[in-house]
Amino acid sequence: MDVKLRIHRFVEDKKWVQDYTLPVTVGMTVLEALTQIKEHQDPTLSFTCSCRSSICGACAVRVNGNAELACEILVENLMKRYDTDELTIEPLGNFRVIRDLIVDWDPKYARIKKIKPTVHPKDEFSAEEGCKQSPEDFNKYKKLAGCILCGSCVSECNKNALNQEDFLDPFVFVKAAKITRDSRDKDPKEHLKVVVDAGLWRCFNCQECTAKCPKGLDPAGAIEKLKEATFKMGLDDNVGARHAKAIYEDISESGTLDESKLNIKSEGFFAAGLRAPMALRLMRVGKMNPLDSHPVNKEIDTIRKIVKNAEAASKEEN
Amino acid sequence: MKYALFPGCVLEGAAAEAYTSLKKVCEKLDIEIEEIPNWTCCGASHAQGVDDLAALAVNARNISIAENMGCDIMTVCNTCTLQLRTAKARLDKDEKLREKVNNILKESGHPYEYKGTSQVTHFLWILDDHPELLDGKIVNPLNGYKVAAYYGCHILRPQEVMDHGDGKHPEYMERLVRKLGAEPVWFDANRKCCGFHAQLAAERDVLKATGQIVDSADRAGAGALVTPCPLCQMQLDMYEPEGREAVHSQAQVPILHLQQLVGLALGLTKEEVGFNRHVSAQDKLKLG
Repeated sequence: MDVKLRIHRFVEDKKWVQDYTLPVTVGMTVLEALTQIKEHQDPTLSFTCSCRSSICGACAVRVNGNAELACEILVENLMKRYDTDELTIEPLGNFRVIRDLIVDWDPKYARIKKIKPTVHPKDEFSAEEGCKQSPEDFNKYKKLAGCILCGSCVSECNKNALNQEDFLDPFVFVKAAKITRDSRDKDPKEHLKVVVDAGLWRCFNCQECTAKCPKGLDPAGAIEKLKEATFKMGLDDNVGARHAKAIYEDISESGTLDESKLNIKSEGFFAAGLRAPMALRLMRVGKMNPLDSHPVNKEIDTIRKIVKNAEAASKEEN
Repeated sequence: MKYALFPGCVLEGAAAEAYTSLKKVCEKLDIEIEEIPNWTCCGASHAQGVDDLAALAVNARNISIAENMGCDIMTVCNTCTLQLRTAKARLDKDEKLREKVNNILKESGHPYEYKGTSQVTHFLWILDDHPELLDGKIVNPLNGYKVAAYYGCHILRPQEVMDHGDGKHPEYMERLVRKLGAEPVWFDANRKCCGFHAQLAAERDVLKATGQIVDSADRAGAGALVTPCPLCQMQLDMYEPEGREAVHSQAQVPILHLQQLVGLALGLTKEEVGFNRHVSAQDKLKLG
């Protein structure tokens, strides 16, 4: 059985798609296929790899639009998934391409540095005594420490695809979530403030990052944890945070979202007023009626108690 | 076949046509739906960012009421499905968390504990699992009408929670579109996010996303785009004019709720599925 790899080439500003056909062997990974092409068909094909064990994160590429670790994913499984003997291989999305499947990490490292990604130890620690941490505290961020910086999470990130200037990469948010949960750090707020300013609330919540992480780290969940921390640290004076709070508070106020008031609560009366043409558009087709009163859930007292009791339990946890 | 229906907030408001068409379609398909009494908002993918435990407890309450009805839950919104299924997955997996949440429900006076006995599924998944429901009911096959099947994000991802089909390569909505007699078209933006949840915080980018998706469906020759998510539907339909402007496109595509498209194939008219409540492309739908 043969597979045709349609590889997106890019050399010195010239772009083209080049087809390579090779026999599929049992257990052949995409990386083995790329290596075979380089060794036997075309030495000019360029890609990066190192450990071949899903640890170093160097070999991530896009296969049929989805980021994958080339050393981990089997060609035969991909052929089954897409029911085809042709696979399209591209460099990761949302990266500058250097050559063929090689992407430029330098701008990404600059973005990581924005969040001050090192632990600033508490004053109680010293060079002599070191920074001690209990296993319980270590476990709070242990999972996030498993990021291998492969870049898969940002490849299909919908927000980054539209504009990278006012947003960060999911792996940067993962790093920020890790450091703000690290008990050895003296000022989590310092990192968090940068994250808010760099676009925390602009996340589309599309879950592509979580779907693509080969280490199962859940970057989208890390973003939610960062958001939760902004409320605890008083960094919630922005439209995204106010919108989330408005939705949250609607649950206690009536049980369901009061669409007519959401924008006013999120953006303020004046900014929401600028949306009057949209409101008129919705009124015209019966999607909004300013005379409608929002119903209140019959069990609202119980619902309010649930929220209050859960909030108290959350505080106790922290 | 009976389900406890979790309609979600927008079906009670701006997307009311999704509710009326769902009721009519379920009646024709002999699916009994009973609304979960006194359900609350699922958190709309935002509440957990304010207080995760409170958002979880609220959904544990929602699910526990359905459990008491003795039914699995049917949802019709991608985000509601993700929120409820995430809550369920966490509670089913973690006994300590379940105990903590059940204590919160109990001390708040809620009469039921969360047991984990009801599954949470989506209307689209029900039709995919039970294609026989449609057998003999398609009185108005859609005659090769070209339809862009737009899944939206939360029905596909993360795979661990939303484990119906292959989230990286879904094919089940296209299968349903074909079953209804229409022709699914491949369009570039078929797995792009509509951006609904960041409409206020990243408006310029979200409108661009809206424009790209509608334009992509139009370029593929789609006479309509269909989605299982009322939030995607609202974003693409309500903001279609701004989306056009953002990407300099002329595209005008009717944006249908899944149950509307099914309803049209079952013989309902455009009016009966509430198409008159749509904002965009009113004169472009050549069905019903």
